Amino acid sequence: MASGSDVPDIVFTYDSGTFNRYAAQGGLTDLTDALNQYGPNLKTFLGEDTLKYGQVDGKQYAISGKRAILGKYSGFIRKDWLDKLGMKEPTTTDELYNVLKAFKEKDPGNTGGKVIPYGMTIAPGQYDPVIWSFIKPLNEEQQYTLTQKLGSNDYPTLLPGFKDALQFLNKLYNEGLVSKDFGLDEDKKQLTQDVQNGLVGYFTDDFDNLYYANGSYDNLKKTVQGAKIDPVDALTNSEGKHAKPEYAPNAMYIMVPKSSQRVAEAIKYLDWMSQTDNMVALQNGVEGENYTMQNGIPVAKADAPQNVLDRLFTSGDTAILANGKFAGDDEKNKQALVAGFPQENQADLRKALDISVTDTFKPVLFDKPIEAEGKYGTALQDKYDEMIVKTATAKPDKFESAYDAALKDYMQSGGQAILDERTKAYQAMKTK
Amino acid sequence: MRGTTYIRRYWQLYALLVLPLAYFVIFKYGPMWGVQIAFKDFNFFQGINGSKWIGLDAFREVFHSQDFTKTLRNTLMLNVLDLIVSFPAPLILAIMLFEVKFQWFKRLSQTILYIPHFISWVIIGGIVYQVFGTQSGLINNLLESLGMDAVPFLTNKHYWLGTYLVTGMWQSAGWGTILYLAALTGINRDLFEAAEVDGAGRFKRIWHITLPGLKTTIATLLIINLGNMIAIGFDRPFVIGNKMVMDFSDVLSTYVYRTGLESGQYTLATVVGLFQAVVGLVFVLGANFASKKLTEESIL
Repeated sequence: MASGSDVPDIVFTYDSGTFNRYAAQGGLTDLTDALNQYGPNLKTFLGEDTLKYGQVDGKQYAISGKRAILGKYSGFIRKDWLDKLGMKEPTTTDELYNVLKAFKEKDPGNTGGKVIPYGMTIAPGQYDPVIWSFIKPLNEEQQYTLTQKLGSNDYPTLLPGFKDALQFLNKLYNEGLVSKDFGLDEDKKQLTQDVQNGLVGYFTDDFDNLYYANGSYDNLKKTVQGAKIDPVDALTNSEGKHAKPEYAPNAMYIMVPKSSQRVAEAIKYLDWMSQTDNMVALQNGVEGENYTMQNGIPVAKADAPQNVLDRLFTSGDTAILANGKFAGDDEKNKQALVAGFPQENQADLRKALDISVTDTFKPVLFDKPIEAEGKYGTALQDKYDEMIVKTATAKPDKFESAYDAALKDYMQSGGQAILDERTKAYQAMKTK
Repeated sequence: MRGTTYIRRYWQLYALLVLPLAYFVIFKYGPMWGVQIAFKDFNFFQGINGSKWIGLDAFREVFHSQDFTKTLRNTLMLNVLDLIVSFPAPLILAIMLFEVKFQWFKRLSQTILYIPHFISWVIIGGIVYQVFGTQSGLINNLLESLGMDAVPFLTNKHYWLGTYLVTGMWQSAGWGTILYLAALTGINRDLFEAAEVDGAGRFKRIWHITLPGLKTTIATLLIINLGNMIAIGFDRPFVIGNKMVMDFSDVLSTYVYRTGLESGQYTLATVVGLFQAVVGLVFVLGANFASKKLTEESIL
């Protein structure tokens, strides 16, 4: 086990709670010096912004990998339905609401009453965009103290505007505009099916999800003649901006256990991996066989034989420093991502990608972990989901009491402890 | 002298016992060493021995947490209801099967009734969703086509309770008949014939011969069931439950999964496990004692 002698020299996790716990329990090597000595390329590749995520009290307990693309979500709408109704693409939440109403009443897809104007689930890809679009612009103090980081994501439970978001969901639900069983759909399975069967008018999702080869969009086009989905940035906040969350710049926490004798080698290995040529090779294979370089972007060869493709079978697990394809700089990273998708979906995907990075809330980070978040984070994620379904599905006149009860439960289950600790940590940070 | 001849004659039987004994020592008693982390601030890297003793702090924390109170209440509630609904079902089924005269029909029914027992809860969960869903479930689609309102079988906690209980009964009733049917074959056939000659009808025979013949089996199964009152399987509430009915579907096993595995708080999870074991033991002994007093049947 972790206390024994046969521990790997490099271990990794996506879960910040696990990383914080390991660091707090003294199981990790402080990599600060080794990184300075053996990791010059690694430091340049990751940059200070990303490296911060692996630090606890200024000590580098993990090498935090890097995300190529920080965008998360985009909205999607059935363009053919809009055309049929003679409506234009919605650009504000109010316009979206009118469109949803029209979808419901006029059923432009001829679904025989099965239309789901707004495809909803109890997964972040669907509820995050609508909720965050109601969050009011925040000052620094609010951002630090009122945000709740559960798992690896910031949650808006206490941010101003959150209640308005729930109220809006409640209205949509009671008017029959969102999926009736969204509270059961934790893995988006039902939504995916409904989209593919042409029942859904508007929904939000991870910006790239629709566009994979033989993915939802391809399947929809097969089942419904003339179906067309457009990426759309419809939800707006009080300032008219398309506020939405984005990813923190870090990816996996790559750690070296305290018992490791090979700290220098571990860092040298990561340093090697961080150099662009090596990273491109790990992620794309051999030039000329797996891919060709086009304008500095590695583009996969569609006709590569199976034994050549198999080289990349585990590339995601090998290139542990990276989440997403790295090609040199931000714009190239985006192009490299798009180039990996079917030709006919590339233009739409690029549009969805650009939407996903518009008007984003940047995650905030303290210089040391909030212990209460490690302790209550997982349980609170469940409470958070519970809060959304309970308030959304309450009868409109029961909304207030459902909201109060759910918030009280959330606060007592650790929400208050996190709030207190963050407030204290913020004050400590300010007086430093 | 008598001892050595005894050993010499029966040593093979004792040798056969060694393996099962070793199994219990290694897999059941050995791990009890780890129970001590309920009294320690368990540190993954220092191991069980290296972690600090904290006395009963973890117990205090668990007993004060409202999630524990809620999940304990739900565990007892679901188990009691389950006992009421699911305990008599196999008994009734077994008696009905026993009364069937056509052997081929009886065998066929038994096989059909056993099948649900072999289906994993994950699959049953999928089926339940397809059958009972509000938007696309079979039953609700039928109701809606008849012009009736959809019934929230899965999303309203009270309806959900019914779904949970019925699904459980459907899954376990057939399999549960096995023990009863085995016990029924032990009843002397002459009794039934004599009763028939004396003019006893079917229900009289069931009441005066079949049921008394099953008394021991019923008592034994009841004791085992009561011993499990505080324990609850993980998959059934986890798979059939959902976010909207957490008020009822969140039970001790899902709570342990959340705190122990998902949040890595091994100490707290161990406290809950130890608590369940102790309460379970009290229940078994209590039920056994009561059964001894009432029916003169007991398993210990």
